[in-house]
Amino acid sequence: MIGASVKIDGQITSEENLVIEGSVKGSITAKNSEVLVGKSGVLKANIVAKIVRIEGTINGDITGGENVIITKTGNVQGNIQSPRVSLEDGAKFKGSIEMDPSDKSVTELPVSGSSNVKAHRPGSAADAQAS
Amino acid sequence: MKRSSALASEPSQNRTLGSNLIPQLFERPRPDERLIVLDMGHPSSSTVNFFNQFKCRLTFLDLQGSEFLAAQPEDPSHEELVAYFQQGLNLQPGVMVDVCLFWDLLSYLDGASVKAFIEALDPHVDRYTRGYSLGLHNARNQLPHCRYGLDTNTSLSQVPKSGTQPTVYPHNQRDLTKLLDYFEIDKSRLMSDGRIEYIMSENRGLRRATPSIW
Repeated sequence: MIGASVKIDGQITSEENLVIEGSVKGSITAKNSEVLVGKSGVLKANIVAKIVRIEGTINGDITGGENVIITKTGNVQGNIQSPRVSLEDGAKFKGSIEMDPSDKSVTELPVSGSSNVKAHRPGSAADAQAS
Repeated sequence: MKRSSALASEPSQNRTLGSNLIPQLFERPRPDERLIVLDMGHPSSSTVNFFNQFKCRLTFLDLQGSEFLAAQPEDPSHEELVAYFQQGLNLQPGVMVDVCLFWDLLSYLDGASVKAFIEALDPHVDRYTRGYSLGLHNARNQLPHCRYGLDTNTSLSQVPKSGTQPTVYPHNQRDLTKLLDYFEIDKSRLMSDGRIEYIMSENRGLRRATPSIW
């Protein structure tokens, strides 16, 4: 845990899960672990981790081995690369997301009128349906 | 034609909008299997979820944001406008886009700005590129102040936006066709509230007959 009053300028490498509530400038590498950037966390850093969860502010690129999640309080400016990315409503994000799902069985494109649309998820065909 | 934002409708809740045209965004996949997607709108959780299914690069530009629209140069030349939109697009030379999600952006640009925007996008569009846009059937219809996302193959998400709606410039289909230059409206569908959804594709050297209305 990097507390809210802690400021780090440099490289962080970890084999354990990290919770960052403070300020980090540099880079964070935790390839086999999870990095949680808490609500008070402010990073000007690139992150490489298995799972990255962002509740705070990041200016930098993020590489997630499995998953990157930007929560509704998260604010990210940078590019994200991960097999799976989630963005909660209310999250702020500016940049590109590079996704490459490992499950190739769901990457077929949804062709119009096709019966083999594997990417289809249930949804309403109604024109304007309140939800 | 310019219309005051005061006339714009204000939706009070999130909605799901049906769409018959979304699958056509993916009709002509580029041989390179990675999709390049440009979303001109605000980052949307549903769009991110939708593209989680694909190997793709998804870029959110938020050009509908009032900051970008308000920062347009005053009385600009065409070249200045093109440069402004090139800056907003921020695309590397040689990047070709597969899917352009314009949403309602074109209704927030006057005719000169639409032309400049389309010209700025020109180097990144080829025969594999598809565009999706929402517009107004005519100037009597109202454009809700919303952000949009791809929800499923048959639906969009619509979430009300806070703040003041930028000035709306309603372009009917005939006017839009003239402004889009190398883009052609392949299909359009009139929605129940007077909005129209459009699918567009590149038509350089392949001018076709008048587009159909579903």
